Amino acid sequence: MLRRLASSTVARLIAAIFVLQVISGGAAIGLLRAKMLQVIDLDRTRQIVDLRNELLGAFYAGGYRELASAVAERRGSVSDPLLFVAVSGHGKPVLSHLAAVPQVAAGDRPVRIRAYHASGGPPAEALALAADLADGTHLVVGILTTPDRHFDLAFVEALALVIVLTAGLALGGAMLTGLVVSRRAHAIAETAEALAAGNFAARVESSGFGDGFDHLGRQINLMAERIDGLVSELQSVAGGLAHDLRSPVARLRAAIETAQAAVPEGAAQDALQLALSDAEVLEAMLAAALELARLESGAMADRRAPLEVRALVLDLAELYEPLAEQTGVELVASGVPATVLGDRELLSRALANLIDNALKYGGGRIMVRTVPAEEAVVIEVEDDGRGIPAADRERALERFTRLDNARTRPGAGLGLATVAAIARLHGGSFSLGSGDGGRVGDAGGGQAGGLVARLRLPLV
Amino acid sequence: MAGRVLVVEDDDRLAEYISRGLLEQNFTVDRAATGRDGLFLATDAQHDVVILDRMLPGMDGMAVLKAMRAAGVRTPVIILSALADTNDRIEGLTAGADDYLGKPFSFAELLARVQALLRRDKGGPAQAEAAVLRCGELELDRLTRQVRRGSRKIPMQPREFRLLEYLLLHAGQVVTRTMLLEAVWDYHFDPGTNVIDVHISRLRRKIDDGEPEALLRTVRGAGYMIAAG
Repeated sequence: MLRRLASSTVARLIAAIFVLQVISGGAAIGLLRAKMLQVIDLDRTRQIVDLRNELLGAFYAGGYRELASAVAERRGSVSDPLLFVAVSGHGKPVLSHLAAVPQVAAGDRPVRIRAYHASGGPPAEALALAADLADGTHLVVGILTTPDRHFDLAFVEALALVIVLTAGLALGGAMLTGLVVSRRAHAIAETAEALAAGNFAARVESSGFGDGFDHLGRQINLMAERIDGLVSELQSVAGGLAHDLRSPVARLRAAIETAQAAVPEGAAQDALQLALSDAEVLEAMLAAALELARLESGAMADRRAPLEVRALVLDLAELYEPLAEQTGVELVASGVPATVLGDRELLSRALANLIDNALKYGGGRIMVRTVPAEEAVVIEVEDDGRGIPAADRERALERFTRLDNARTRPGAGLGLATVAAIARLHGGSFSLGSGDGGRVGDAGGGQAGGLVARLRLPLV
Repeated sequence: MAGRVLVVEDDDRLAEYISRGLLEQNFTVDRAATGRDGLFLATDAQHDVVILDRMLPGMDGMAVLKAMRAAGVRTPVIILSALADTNDRIEGLTAGADDYLGKPFSFAELLARVQALLRRDKGGPAQAEAAVLRCGELELDRLTRQVRRGSRKIPMQPREFRLLEYLLLHAGQVVTRTMLLEAVWDYHFDPGTNVIDVHISRLRRKIDDGEPEALLRTVRGAGYMIAAG
């Protein structure tokens, strides 16, 4: 499920959405950070301007002495450990929270500097404002800005959280969208599959959203209506044709049988017997052609039910075994049990066709078996006769094809085409190969190993 | 054995052929050429068997059959149809037909089926439920699944047992290859050549070899019959 989702269109769509969400989330966080830093900077500026004004107040009240003592005793705002003050110009400078006097030129606006804090360590980032007073006193006030890093860390954390949350939501969304999309796509595909299998009553249900899926469903339903109409038409044409052709044949046969009852043994009786067997051949060909036409149009009720294939094979082998023995052919049935969704009557007919062929054209040994395959089971009928050359095998499956060695034998040339049609109705396939373990399309003739007919059916 | 048969068939020549054959077998035959006439005659319920063509002018065979059954007429019906694939057969049988025969057919096949239906209707059920089926000195015990002829015990494969059981249920009556294939093997297609003949030959060897009287006979051009005397 996940693997299929990953390779799907939905997954690509979701990946794009994910990237866009991360980008927009990141941008919002970046903007927020800039705004917050701006606010904080304003606040800091106000703090140091206030501190400077407070100290200037002390200076104007008591001159340098008052200023120096306010700083030394850390009165008022000076006590804030993040704020620092340096007063120089009169001998030894007076410092608060500083290890050295920072080099700052006097000005109205705070500047970014690096200051050595009293607690030691490397110089720290700070914002400072300097003023030169009337008696030559140089006053520097400032604030440490090191906590900026903490902000940045917090923002990185927030960004990571956004990515993780977005990824989770995107994956959840992908699963949900994927489920919804694939459920609807599969519903449509299943309808198409049912139609292909001959169930022309199958229709796609509308969700009522009027979206692309509904459009596709409507178009498939329209197509199904059309196919349904054509097939019913074909069915009535086939039925009419059957009636039109079979009734004269029935009358022909009736006439021959009536004549047979009236004619004594002799030349006339022999001729009538020949005519009767020809009428029977005509009947059989007509029946086979109509049957094939119906099979290929898929115009039949779906009577498939779970069916154990080995039992089917053993039943057919049991039916043909006495005949094989009488013809001097060894008929062996074997294989693994496997269950398919199948029409017993049609599959039996297909297998009977193959065994009958093997009895007619094969050698002294016929092997019928079920062989497990990938998500399928293969019914193999192998003989040790002359086989069919690789070049002729495809042609042998076409209707009315009779290969040279079959010309002298009765049959309509519809047998293998019928088997192939039955295989298709079951969602399977039919192929011919040579008996020496080769596959269809092998170079060289089938002379050595006889013929293997393979009827492949998907498992339930 | 003979009885009264209604033939509903629009094809004159085919109807004539069926009627003549049945008359030769001492049946009384009524004929109808349309579905409406057929239904009218059938609702009299005077017939032992109705042979009903599926495609008829006016009212088709399936409609006649459904109307008959709806009117409570229980007469056995054999449907004749040019549409003889499995779907049509099932459709016919579920609509209340007792048998289904595809066109073209041989008269022998039709006759065998008509007789089987007559037999089933007349005292058939008692025999159908009998535990032991007999024909001359041949005995088939359906409970112990044993077969013996006189004092000789005959071993049987399961399929041979069912074949013999079916033949004995229709003792004295012609049974065609198609009937055997449908009843014993449940296949509705022609497996070709003489698949069934060989099964019969095997069975015959088992029950008749070395016996003074052959019970299992071949009826030329029709099928087989098991009968004593």
